[in-house]
Amino acid sequence: MKHIVGVADMKTSNLAGDSIVTYSLGSCIGLAIYDPIARAGGILHYMLPDSSIDKEKARAKPYMFADTGIPRLFKESYSLGAKKNRIKVFVAGGAEILDQQGFFNIGKRNYMALKKMLFRNNVLIEKQVVGGNVNRTVRLEIATGHIYIKTSGSREARIL
Amino acid sequence: MTAIQVLIREIKNLKPIPAVVHPLLAAVENPKSSMEDIAGIIQYDPAITASVIRTTNSAFFGLKQPAESIKDAANLLGTDQIVEMVLLKSSAKALSGSQKGYDLHAGAMWKYAVSSAVIAKQIATQLAIPHRSTIFTAALLKDIGKTVLDKFVQDAFGKIQSLVAEQNVSFMEAEKKVIGVDHTELGGMIAKMWKFSPRMVKIIRNHHLSDDSMIQDKDTAVVYLADCICMMMGMGVGADGLAYRFHEYAMEELGMEADDISRTIAEFAYKMQEVEALLQVV
Repeated sequence: MKHIVGVADMKTSNLAGDSIVTYSLGSCIGLAIYDPIARAGGILHYMLPDSSIDKEKARAKPYMFADTGIPRLFKESYSLGAKKNRIKVFVAGGAEILDQQGFFNIGKRNYMALKKMLFRNNVLIEKQVVGGNVNRTVRLEIATGHIYIKTSGSREARIL
Repeated sequence: MTAIQVLIREIKNLKPIPAVVHPLLAAVENPKSSMEDIAGIIQYDPAITASVIRTTNSAFFGLKQPAESIKDAANLLGTDQIVEMVLLKSSAKALSGSQKGYDLHAGAMWKYAVSSAVIAKQIATQLAIPHRSTIFTAALLKDIGKTVLDKFVQDAFGKIQSLVAEQNVSFMEAEKKVIGVDHTELGGMIAKMWKFSPRMVKIIRNHHLSDDSMIQDKDTAVVYLADCICMMMGMGVGADGLAYRFHEYAMEELGMEADDISRTIAEFAYKMQEVEALLQVV
C-alpha cells in the first residue's frame, strides 16, 4: 500500500508491501529513516525549524516543526522494531529561493535544526540531497529500504 | 511570426473572466457599499449566483437552514466568504489545467493560486492593509501568464534550465532571455485584456518584484511575500523550482521579520485542510 505523507505529517510502517511517499518539499525537510534488519521505517515532512514560535500549534500539529517532529519519527519507528544503532537516515529538501540569506533562509535553518539534533544524539546521516533551488519528492520502499527522489522537471531516480 | 506575436494571439483566444468580477471588486473596495449592493451585483450573473447558493448549501458549511438567495448566503456565511467564493469560481477554469512545461499536474496550479490568495489576505489582514479583495484576486491570478507561456517553456526547457543552473539567473529571467517574454509580462497583458484595474495589472506584472521600485508598493509586496511562502512550502513549485529572487528589502518594507514569516507559514499550515476542503466544494 502507498502511504502519502502530507505537509506537517508523518507515516511509518513495517509492512513489506508498503511504500511511503512525500511530495513537493520546497524548503521543508523530508526525513526518511529505515532499519534494514527490522525492515521498518518512515518519513517525516516538517516545515519549520523551531516550535518556540508557536507552542500551541506545535501541540496540535507536532509534525510541523523539527524539534517536535523528529523525536516522534524515531520513537514510532522504535515501536515497530527499529533499533537506533541500525537506523539509516536519509534527508531531502531544505531548498532555498535565490538570494535568500541568513535568518530568512528557512530551508537551511530546517536542515541545521536536524543536523544539530542528530549530532546531539550520535546519529549519522547516510545520504542527503538538500539545498539548491529545486523541488523534491521522496519515496521509501519498506521491503528494501530503497529511497527514490524525484526533482520537478526530471524523472524519479533511486539514490539509496 | 515571432514567439511574442504567437503569444499575443494565444492570450486573445483565452476565455474572458466573468464580467461580474469587475463591479464586484469595485464595490467591495468602496467602504460605502452595503451588503445589499454586493448581493445585487452578484445576482446579475445567474450562473455564478446558482453556483454560490449551491456551494453555500453544501455539507461543507453544515447550515441548518438552506440559503435561497445571495443575500441569505451573505447573512449566513458573511459577505467576505461569498465574495471570495465568486472570485474563486470566476478563476477556477482558467487555472485548473495541467502545465506540462512547468511540470505541474492538473490541480497543482489551482491549489497554489488559492493558497497564495489565502496567505496574501492573511498577511494583509495582519498588517491592516486595505484593498484586501484586490490583493486576494491578484494573488489568485498572478501566474495566469504561465498557463499561456507553458507550451513555450516546454519547447525551450533545456535552454532555460541550463541558464538557471549555470549562470545564476532566475527562471523568469531565463524565460525572458530564451523566449523573449516572461510569465509576469504576459500575466500583466492578460489582466489588461480582461479589463482589470491598473492597480491589479501592476501587482500581477510585478509580483516577482523584478522592478526594485515596486518594493515600496505594499499591495505588491504582500502578493510577492505570499508567493515566496508558497514556494518555501513547495506549493505550485514545478520545474521552475524556487529559482526566483528573494528581496529582503520587501520584508523590511512590510515590517516582517523571519519569525513573522515562520508564524504565517504555521498559521496557514494549520488551516490548510480547511482550504483543501473548500477547494473540493468550489
